[in-house]
Amino acid sequence: MMIVLDQLTKIFGAQTAVDALSLEIPAGQIVGFLGPNGAGKSTTLKMLTGMIEPTSGKATVCGYDLQREPIELKRHVGFVPESGAVFESLTGLEYLEMVAALYGIPQNAARARIKQFIAFFDLSFETLTDKLLGAYSKGMRRKVVITSALLHNPPVVFFDEPLDGLDANAAVGFKTLIQTLAREGKTIVYSSHILDVVERVCHRVIIIDKGKLLLDGKPDELVAAHNSGTLEKLFTQLTGGAELERRAEDFAKTFRP
Amino acid sequence: MNSAELPLPPILPEPTPTPEKTLRRLFLTLFLRGRGARGLNKLGTPKTIGQKLSLTLVFYALFGCMALAFLHQPVFALAVYLHAMTFVFLGMFIASSAGEILFNKEEADILMHRPVTPKAMLWAKIRVLVEVSLWLAGAFNLVGLFVGFGSACNWRFPIIHLFSTTLEALFCTGCVVLIYQLCLRWFGRERLEGLMTTAQVFVSIAAVMSGQILPRLVFRFDHVLTVGESSWWIGLLPPAWFAGFDDAFAGSAMLYSWLLAAIAVIVTGTVLWIAFGKLARDYEMGLQALNETISTRVKKHNHRRWLDRLVNVPPLSWWLRDPVARASFLLTAAYLIRDRDVKLRVYPGIAPILIIPFVFLLQNNHHKDASDVGFGVPFSGIYLGMVPLLGLQMLQYSQQWQASDIFRAAPIIGPAQLCHGARRAVLCLLALPMLLLVGLIVWLLRGDWSQLVLLLPGIIALPVFALVPNLGGKAVPLSQPTDAAKSAGRGLNMILVMLIAFALAGLASLAWSQGWFWRLVLGEFAVAAGLYFFMRRSLARVRWTSTE
Repeated sequence: MMIVLDQLTKIFGAQTAVDALSLEIPAGQIVGFLGPNGAGKSTTLKMLTGMIEPTSGKATVCGYDLQREPIELKRHVGFVPESGAVFESLTGLEYLEMVAALYGIPQNAARARIKQFIAFFDLSFETLTDKLLGAYSKGMRRKVVITSALLHNPPVVFFDEPLDGLDANAAVGFKTLIQTLAREGKTIVYSSHILDVVERVCHRVIIIDKGKLLLDGKPDELVAAHNSGTLEKLFTQLTGGAELERRAEDFAKTFRP
Repeated sequence: MNSAELPLPPILPEPTPTPEKTLRRLFLTLFLRGRGARGLNKLGTPKTIGQKLSLTLVFYALFGCMALAFLHQPVFALAVYLHAMTFVFLGMFIASSAGEILFNKEEADILMHRPVTPKAMLWAKIRVLVEVSLWLAGAFNLVGLFVGFGSACNWRFPIIHLFSTTLEALFCTGCVVLIYQLCLRWFGRERLEGLMTTAQVFVSIAAVMSGQILPRLVFRFDHVLTVGESSWWIGLLPPAWFAGFDDAFAGSAMLYSWLLAAIAVIVTGTVLWIAFGKLARDYEMGLQALNETISTRVKKHNHRRWLDRLVNVPPLSWWLRDPVARASFLLTAAYLIRDRDVKLRVYPGIAPILIIPFVFLLQNNHHKDASDVGFGVPFSGIYLGMVPLLGLQMLQYSQQWQASDIFRAAPIIGPAQLCHGARRAVLCLLALPMLLLVGLIVWLLRGDWSQLVLLLPGIIALPVFALVPNLGGKAVPLSQPTDAAKSAGRGLNMILVMLIAFALAGLASLAWSQGWFWRLVLGEFAVAAGLYFFMRRSLARVRWTSTE
């Protein structure tokens, strides 16, 4: 198993963000990690990437224990955070070379890899060398963040809303990329609110709410078992959004002149 | 999108920089360029912080020429002066930069999932802080080194002084880091952000006070300052320890110098050991704390609604009749009270400057005669003009500056009302409390209510000072990226206010002693009213300019 969570829990003061979450993810699987806002998805991903410490429970990624071997674990994972934060006063190339250096990739090897990524993402090398990241569009910045997560060729990659800001072409390319990566044995954990993409791309879907596991299974099997038609409808059924459409219609009527 | 079908190239054996070196280079680049830079290309970047830093170094070097007054004076007197002033500069620099460098919120998402330890990050940041501190200290001490060398061909002084200054930089950095870590340990992460601001303000004030007291003593004792039975307390002031180090190795080598030198080494070593050895784990906790976005405590709404209530009762409700000015007042006040980034910039920026009027008040406290009030009271009142001036200048910078696009998107013809709201917030929340404090101190020192009228020239000038940053539609609240906040232009404004304060306070003091004070007040009121009217009209005419 590439990822193992055993009663993983995170408590912030009086609030339990992740509540005794247990699951296992094998190699080569794309797992959609879903939940409404505040369900504990980002907190789980941040724990699995060593960014925040769990309150209790255990987890291993690529066999490395989260608490005992955090640096080895970090060396074997890639992470695209939802914020898409970068150091805006570095150029794209400076940023990527800095990230590569942190993973011990020599400058020449890093540059060769970066060139492959920018060719894939249709970025020009001049943009990467001359422009500061603060001047990049949101989509371009997101491409740089995705590149920085994959640069060291990690066996496990966590994506938190990776398509945010990408144009339609880039999004299609990205989906193909992660499917290919999974075929080559990489484990992908994909957290997103765009459920039709999750339904098409992911081999397995995990839905959590209030930090607890609600559902775990193949998207088509889950949809069929709950007789909900689409993953989106299943999600709203499970997370209390069934009344949303009617409420939205009622609210829209209040805008009538 | 092109498909890259070639496999990723293998990593060939070649030397790789260590994470520590990579991080150090990263943090130095970020410090020199600033953290946000929309619309810039790489060639444009050195013009921002790098160039300003060069100007600052030149300014420090010129300021260091004051050391020429110590030519042919004892080593201890020269060293006390140099270390005291270095302590002020370093203390203020480290206090104002440390929060941003040590605890940057976005940094967690970028670096915390990479294979680097928080300890490596801490050391890289410390090295950058110390490195830049040494540039500043080096620039200021440059002339002093020659003075020390030239006084008696003392070739050891430059070498020893360079060493003791490095020690002092390490001590300052260690103290600031230690204060943050102790705050984290004792008060927990929930109160980290508020405490960081408080800690910075206190460090700044302590640095300025320590730096102000010693040089004054040197002049008072006619350059023969020593630590003796009656002046043992000098040994409590950190700059004296490092001055003692210089005197022990390159000066009189008296017993008290050796004692002070030993204190310098032991205290610095202890601070560094505790900050970077014993409490390094607390820094890791602090970084994680900033990464945890979930609020741990549900705050009562009532605590946050007092601002709303405040603007709805007279006299503020009368003053904020315009809805845009009211909204701007609330926005500015909320950022002054809640936003960590703004608080870290505004309060430590203003606090040390406000020491100066108190020094003047205390110095002139011997003027007990009602007809001879001295210079301190009117100077303190006029100097308060610095509060809105600096406050508004610093409030225009925010990490959320892009959100200010809403001002241009809204149906408002220009920034005037936004500026008025921000100005009133600064006057109410910063200038008014300071005025009350100065009034209280004047009363406590002089025991005479009648002397409070000497604050009138300052109160009359306050609205005019407060309008200066907004001239030409500038200093719109929270509308500029934070990297531009390290501008050297503020120094010019401060010098201008200081000159006006000196001139007007001198005039007020003279007018009081010669019996024409009230005529001066009337005259000043007429001039200030004219200026105020002219500046407001000019601001009202300003329209939004295109943002590129």
